[in-house]
Amino acid sequence: MSGLDIGGSQLDASWFLILGGILFTLGAVGVLVRRNPLVILISIELMLNAVNLTLVTFARQLQNIEGQLFALMVMTVAAAEAVVGLAILVDIFRVRDLEDVDDLSELKG
Amino acid sequence: MAIAIFFIAAVMAVAGGVGVISARQPMRSVLSLVVTMLALAVLFLLLDAQFVFVVQIIVYAGAVMVLFLFVIALLGPAREIAAGRLRFQPWLAGLFSLALLVLIWAMLQGIQYRQPESTDLTFFGTVQSIAIGLFTTYLYPFELTSILLLVAAIGAIYLSRRPSDDR
Repeated sequence: MSGLDIGGSQLDASWFLILGGILFTLGAVGVLVRRNPLVILISIELMLNAVNLTLVTFARQLQNIEGQLFALMVMTVAAAEAVVGLAILVDIFRVRDLEDVDDLSELKG
Repeated sequence: MAIAIFFIAAVMAVAGGVGVISARQPMRSVLSLVVTMLALAVLFLLLDAQFVFVVQIIVYAGAVMVLFLFVIALLGPAREIAAGRLRFQPWLAGLFSLALLVLIWAMLQGIQYRQPESTDLTFFGTVQSIAIGLFTTYLYPFELTSILLLVAAIGAIYLSRRPSDDR
């Protein structure tokens, strides 16, 4: 157990980590269950946010700024991933109407 | 006070996460994700990460989510069919996700916290302290990030060209 003194009250670092784990699992459920490729991308964003919470929590617990720097890097990568993923989706939707990511299992030239 | 803020933000974040995976319309998924991101931004502020808090709101909840909303508006209403080809897929997914959650929880039980380095907490997480880290020790990764963004921008432009542009 590791207490964090925030504004005079004692919070435990493990609360933040468990919340991050719950959000990550919710994102994983979204990726596995939903079949709309857009919602899958949104769920991946949720998972990245959960990881960011973990990084910032450890940065605060160790009082080391490197965790926050890494969280900023994750945000950059997430933005790049969203841009490229959405561009690919728009390109696919232009060619054919997509209802299910399983429709993409066949490659046609 | 901080404990109350934490629990309000945590409940909002989890509610937003449930909304992301349960909403029928992708538009509602995106708006639920915005709720989650704002709640996480509050938690970042609680954890002395002021700069990450501002970036989370401006870049993430602002720019990236607006990009998602534009693409959803561009593609029109969702046509997600009710049942997939695998009938047992949701149950299997739920089982594996539960296993993942149990694994994460078990991992957190055995965690060994290191003694914190004694930093000045009034300076911790400010723009200045972030900039010192980013422009001295981590200058090289920072510059690599700009190349990554350039590649992503070029890739997006290439993918979104009109088919008639092909020679």
